[in-house]
Amino acid sequence: MPEKRDMEGIIRHVTEVIIGELKLEDITVGTFNPDMDLVDELGIDSMDLATIALVLQDEYKITIDEDDYPKLKTVRLIAEYIEEKLTGKN
Amino acid sequence: MTGNAIVEGKESFDSVKPKFSDLLAAPNIRERWEKVRRYFFLRESTYDMTNRCNIRCDGCYYYEGDKQFASENLNTEDWRNLMRTEKKRGITYVVLAGAEPSLVPELLKVCYEEMPLGSIATNGFKKIPESVGYKIHISVWGNDETSRRVRRAKNLLKKQIENYQGDERAVFVYTFTRENIDEVEEVASELIADDCKLTFNVFSSPVGYNGPLRHDETSLLRTRKKMIELLNRYPKNVLFSVYNAVAHTHKKGLHDLYNCSYPRCNPSQDIGLGRSFRQYRTDLNWDRSVACCVPDTDCPDCRHYAAGSAVVTARLYRHVNDADTFKSWLDYVDTYLAVWVMGYEKGENLCRKIIEPPQVR
Repeated sequence: MPEKRDMEGIIRHVTEVIIGELKLEDITVGTFNPDMDLVDELGIDSMDLATIALVLQDEYKITIDEDDYPKLKTVRLIAEYIEEKLTGKN
Repeated sequence: MTGNAIVEGKESFDSVKPKFSDLLAAPNIRERWEKVRRYFFLRESTYDMTNRCNIRCDGCYYYEGDKQFASENLNTEDWRNLMRTEKKRGITYVVLAGAEPSLVPELLKVCYEEMPLGSIATNGFKKIPESVGYKIHISVWGNDETSRRVRRAKNLLKKQIENYQGDERAVFVYTFTRENIDEVEEVASELIADDCKLTFNVFSSPVGYNGPLRHDETSLLRTRKKMIELLNRYPKNVLFSVYNAVAHTHKKGLHDLYNCSYPRCNPSQDIGLGRSFRQYRTDLNWDRSVACCVPDTDCPDCRHYAAGSAVVTARLYRHVNDADTFKSWLDYVDTYLAVWVMGYEKGENLCRKIIEPPQVR
């Protein structure tokens, strides 16, 4: 489980996962805009998103429903989704 | 039990479902995952190249619906521009089909110059120039006698083998109909004797077709058995897996099993095929309401190998509930890449068990 579970910490960790999983070489956590549209601007597709979702599920011990994938369009939206799930659990 | 437990109406992330990282812990599975995920960048669209064909087959989906009446655009610069526009839109893989692409080799060359990854669906009667470096899928519907009867083509298998023996682009695609299940023995034997690669398709009826080629539950089970027998007998030449056999011969079609995500069945344009896939007609127009890889196929009866390659592959999420299901999915994707991508070599299948496709929760 990632250490920081506040919004800033979740955004940072989601960004790290995306950079790591997609092997993005030109972007760092510091330069990644959390409001960037992952599909339109970064060009990720359903398989990339599924992979990211599976990794985040493991790390936060939550379930990300397949039907919710289309909502997860930015890092911030993913982080908010995770926070809601964590809050719901608590 | 596998999957998420439903506890008092609420999903819980239980200890029965393995973590994704646990599934990847075995070195052979991790290796296969890393091998296939390198191709997650593939984004396909399909293109009808000409409305002509040099043979006429019973149950051909091309000559159903409106697309056969679209005018032909044979202008190479228009096709070049289309490919460039497609690339800008994010398309990385083209499937060149209907009616018979080998009749327009100059268009194939232009497409290949602009878009280096793709495949061509052909009846194999006329050889496609070697300068077109796409995968070539040669459709086989039975032995020569059956081809003469159903496709009105004489000595078709002989001609197909003559044209494509030893050609690394070529994959022979045997379409199982209700009538030709046992014939695959002699066809496979002939193809393997000539060291050809073989994969399997399942006849999927065009809308309104109720003829003798349409499968029923019994013929689907016989087909599955035959597919697995041949896979076990010719593992080097038959590009397939047990899970391919299961997914394509299930009593439910692909749409019911996996929720087909092609635009024709999927109104969402958020992500995936619903967003990027187009099916261009010969006049270079497309229509979202009929766009899928086999237009005018009866969706409930669709078990087409091309549809499965996208639809099953896209359902990664559903296949991570246990190790055997995940291995089966990896076998499926590995098979699909070997059939569709030049230079991709299929590995040994990871799962030989019959695994039921995961149900939608």
